[in-house]
Amino acid sequence: MTRVLLFVLIGITVIIYLLLFAVSKVTLPAQSPPGIEQGIGEIQNLLGLPVALPFAFSRLLPGIGTLLAIILVASSMGNEYNWRTIRTMLICSEGRLRLLGAKLISAGIFILIGMVVGLATAFVMSLLTTAIGGYAFDFSFATGGYWWDQFLQFWRTFYVIMPYALLGFLFAIVGRSAMPGIALGAGVLFLESIITAIMYTAGGWIAQIPDYLLTANVSAIANVNKFLQDVGLGELGTTVGFGQLPGVPHAFITLAIYSLVFLIVAFYLFRKRDVTG
Amino acid sequence: MSGIGLRQEAANDIILRTTGLTKHFGKLEAVKDLNLELRRGEVFGFLGPNGAGKSTTVGMILGLVAPTAGSIELFGQKLEGNPWALLRRVGAVIEEPAFYPYLSGRDNLEALARAIGGIPGNKINEVLERVNLLDRAGDRYSHYSMGMKQRLGIASTLLREPELILLDEPTSGLDPAGTKEVRDLIPRLAHERRAVFLCSHLLHEVEQVCNRVAIIKEGVMIACAPIQELLTQGQMLQIKVDDPAQAAAILSGLPWIKSVKRENDYLIVDAPKESVSRVNQALAEHNIFASELTSRNVSLESVFLQLTGGESGD
Repeated sequence: MTRVLLFVLIGITVIIYLLLFAVSKVTLPAQSPPGIEQGIGEIQNLLGLPVALPFAFSRLLPGIGTLLAIILVASSMGNEYNWRTIRTMLICSEGRLRLLGAKLISAGIFILIGMVVGLATAFVMSLLTTAIGGYAFDFSFATGGYWWDQFLQFWRTFYVIMPYALLGFLFAIVGRSAMPGIALGAGVLFLESIITAIMYTAGGWIAQIPDYLLTANVSAIANVNKFLQDVGLGELGTTVGFGQLPGVPHAFITLAIYSLVFLIVAFYLFRKRDVTG
Repeated sequence: MSGIGLRQEAANDIILRTTGLTKHFGKLEAVKDLNLELRRGEVFGFLGPNGAGKSTTVGMILGLVAPTAGSIELFGQKLEGNPWALLRRVGAVIEEPAFYPYLSGRDNLEALARAIGGIPGNKINEVLERVNLLDRAGDRYSHYSMGMKQRLGIASTLLREPELILLDEPTSGLDPAGTKEVRDLIPRLAHERRAVFLCSHLLHEVEQVCNRVAIIKEGVMIACAPIQELLTQGQMLQIKVDDPAQAAAILSGLPWIKSVKRENDYLIVDAPKESVSRVNQALAEHNIFASELTSRNVSLESVFLQLTGGESGD
């Protein structure tokens, strides 16, 4: 499962880069509107080496990365129910909480490995498209400040993936199967962003509700990447195109509360419920 | 040895004791006031029709299902207080064995050994050899036959040399040779100072390997006795007379006879074993003389069917 998910992440990253490269090489007709030319210029910027990691942090990992993390974490527990190995493992383990903790820690490690693999793939694809496109290899961006910023963004990205992954984990335990965890985790990931956008459009007090949901807070943290702001691609981190995102401290606290609640309920249910069938 | 010492030794020999064990699932009473004792060296059969509460009982013993009331003692200590230390001394295969399908048999045992902790490296080969699975240990579990899966399940219970082994349908899906192998293995396990708690619907198998059995129906234990005692209780008198209809009428009128049935030329009489002479005398008083009067041996299966009202075992 983990290997399959890693291959999916690599495959999707490669496909996205190849599509972006193909679009960046489109020859525009002479009378094309200026906006299109500007858009293609931005895509060429995206393919460049300096933006490879920030792009992966801002787009790939919070999107497809989070989805794969939900699948991984929900499956880590849900498959134990599906294969009925939960009883075998519980009989052999020193306590339910230890088993659940071990599952969660190993899933967390796999998510971190997946993030590194995703970033490496994005960087390699950026190198390839730079070479194929005939652009200059310029590593002057790789200053200490740049790497520090990416290091912090790595952990911020991990932080924003966690509430969704823990939601999947919780519902895999509630539903005693991987499928409810994957379906609900993925459902919240995609539907909540649509609902958030609708709420922002509605305005008034309704527009304040997303401040306490996941999407807006995730976007607020994904937006922190300083490098993107510096190169004029700050909007890349914004997955909710309209509305005022909550502040970063607010986002950190809100996501921490969500993660903790999902975690505590998952542990409580797993400890208390009978394992039958 | 003093009286107290003897009692202490007997108490030490009780590996499992349930007292008033009860489990409700909503309004359903799956297990009601179950009292069991299992001693070291015993092979204990746990029988009952489908849905009788056998798996729920096993689940409670293993800490997978929380009892609604009552208590479980393992090795003389309450399970509730310190379950994991006590469950380390228990091995179990519940219903069909469950292992990771993408791992080999050996890798599955290694994963379990790591989860248990403190299992010596050579133990895996040793248990694989004991269940005759060593040559196929490298194959994926998903490619195993049902019999191999069962044997791997038994191997997994042996990893930590448990003092109590719970086996739920251990010969399910095995071919006759495999069934015999497992059937031979079970008493051997118990002789190694362990106790074996065996749930099986193959009653002739239980009859062959168990010392004592309990029969449970609708969550209530309806019998618990040594096999021989149960079989003796179930014994019938088989009588051959010239006029079975008249003899049946006479015997049916006697208060100490539970039932009289006709089977071809024979009467099958459910009466206490020691009442042979009284039956003979009652017939003789009406000038009916039995040409044959014997005790008819019964199988555990017929005792089971009689006690459970004809429901098939699980």
